[in-house]
Amino acid sequence: MSGFSVLLKKEWRENSRNFKVLWIPIAFIIFGILEPVTNHFLPEIMKSVGNMPEGADFQWPEFKGEDIFSSLLGQYQFIGILIIVLAFMGSISGERKNGTATLLYVRPLSYGHYFLSKWLVTNGVVLGSVWLGILAAWYYIEILFNHVDAWEVFAFIATYSIWIVFVVTVVLALSAWLPTGGAAGLAIFATLIFQIIDSLIGTYWTVSPWKVAIYATYWFQPNADMSDLWMSIIITVLFIIVLIIFGSSMAKRNASKTTV
Amino acid sequence: MSELATIPWNLIMPLLVLQLILMIVALVDVIRHQRTNGPFIMWIFIIVLGNLIGPIVYFIFGRRQA
Amino acid sequence: MTQLLQVVDLTKKYGSTKVVDTVSFELEEHTSTALIGPNGSGKTTTLSMLAGLVPQTSGTLQFQSTARQDIQSIIGFLPQYPKFFSWLSALEFTEMAARLSGVETRKAVMEAKKTLEFVGLGDSLSKKTGTFSGGMKQRLGLAQAIVHKPKLILLDEPVSALDPVGRRQVMNLLKEIQQETTILYSTHILNDAEEMTDQLLFLRQGKLVEQGSLDDVRSRYAEPRIIIEFEKEQELQRFTEMAPWHVSANGLTVAIDVLTEGVGMPAIIALLHGQSFLVRKIERQTASLEEIFMKVAVI
Repeated sequence: MSGFSVLLKKEWRENSRNFKVLWIPIAFIIFGILEPVTNHFLPEIMKSVGNMPEGADFQWPEFKGEDIFSSLLGQYQFIGILIIVLAFMGSISGERKNGTATLLYVRPLSYGHYFLSKWLVTNGVVLGSVWLGILAAWYYIEILFNHVDAWEVFAFIATYSIWIVFVVTVVLALSAWLPTGGAAGLAIFATLIFQIIDSLIGTYWTVSPWKVAIYATYWFQPNADMSDLWMSIIITVLFIIVLIIFGSSMAKRNASKTTV
Repeated sequence: MSELATIPWNLIMPLLVLQLILMIVALVDVIRHQRTNGPFIMWIFIIVLGNLIGPIVYFIFGRRQA
Repeated sequence: MTQLLQVVDLTKKYGSTKVVDTVSFELEEHTSTALIGPNGSGKTTTLSMLAGLVPQTSGTLQFQSTARQDIQSIIGFLPQYPKFFSWLSALEFTEMAARLSGVETRKAVMEAKKTLEFVGLGDSLSKKTGTFSGGMKQRLGLAQAIVHKPKLILLDEPVSALDPVGRRQVMNLLKEIQQETTILYSTHILNDAEEMTDQLLFLRQGKLVEQGSLDDVRSRYAEPRIIIEFEKEQELQRFTEMAPWHVSANGLTVAIDVLTEGVGMPAIIALLHGQSFLVRKIERQTASLEEIFMKVAVI
């Protein structure tokens, strides 16, 4: 177990000294605040800038606080996930490529511990960022829109977190398997592009990790059917476990590809 | 312009502060580190002029690791 | 002498290319072995297999009473160009290395400090490795390879990237380390090999083409010659006319091939003395390691 805590410490130092523990939360918080603020002030700003033809009375849709969570989710599902993929695509492949992994791999290392240490710290950074971002958005929603039930918000956050853990696990497993470029490409496909594919042709199935984010917003709808959500969560957790095992064994198999 | 005065700046302020922190951290890092992919003067421009995206793009693509 | 490691028919294939081809040798405890060969002869791959970084295609590595999975804990490895996490300090890195190699948590910091002081980085404990010069990196590399007191230390070209001063210092460190452990190091600098070696292994295109102690190899390849330097050219002339052996002259010196002429030092001295030659210098010369290298390792 001593080896595991050493690796955890190493990962934490890496993420704090390359400022990831700072800039990723700030980025997610900024996006979290921007969503309610722009939605609230956009009508006024448009009016004051005065680009509208004289007499045109534009009817802006009346947003409720719950809708803002959904539109924030839309932001996170694109730019947030892009940040996660790009920030962590080289977590393992980068260490192999630049040769820093060599002095780890010559030691009696458990590759399970090696992968899990990265998985835990990366999830810590990313989940912390997502939570702070959503909480910041919630604060602004309470001020600028309406009161949203706390249990609904927490259920939303908890459900969305499972999807985020899935994304992190995909990125790390691919980084263990492929060189950084390939890992990034495939991770963007598996998390961003497959969402679209899943929403297009996935109407035939209702249980899928790629639907967990949408299902998270169901908590804001009083009469939504939650049965698909639970099955999707179970499937996602299974995917995560399989990907952790896959990532650990790929890290081990590819250890000989480290630059000596 | 009187409408702009009605915007509650105390709500907007945190956004500006966070963006400033992001920019300053990126600038301090790029100047202290001076090891970037591509010319580091270019990265200073990207960080300062790139708004919110500038510092993020620097942290993802500009910073040379290892 | 107890045996530490027996390597039998070690082979590594990449595709159909044999980078290391049925290499067999043994390492005795507390000895140092130099792995010599030109670039691309398989030195790094051999060391990587011993370090557990690269799996061998075939062949066996038999460590003295150690199970395969524990081998890495009794090994220290220094790659030719060691790469460190630039955001860790020298002490943080060495402590991490020690703990990952099984040094107890309580002892790790102390051992790391001691080792860094030993390699001459005592003043740079808290400096980030990213700011280190080439020489400092090599010392840090050495520190992480020995901090857990491994039984076998594998060094890939440990001094070839260093300037003469750094090379001298690292060689002295290695000689000190050598008294407590077993060293296998690769080099293409033969002076280094000559300086610290109990066993020589010559690799050529992945094959082990010669092995043995420095004296063994020398006597096998040596073509000992006796070199005589005269005071004057007339003396040299007189000698070549009188001597019953084939001599090759060059300036004021002549060389006599000991083996082909079947002659020894006493006979030559007797002649020189008896005829009162004016001699400046007389010496027996054996082949240098470099000559052997050119014969053995280069085609």
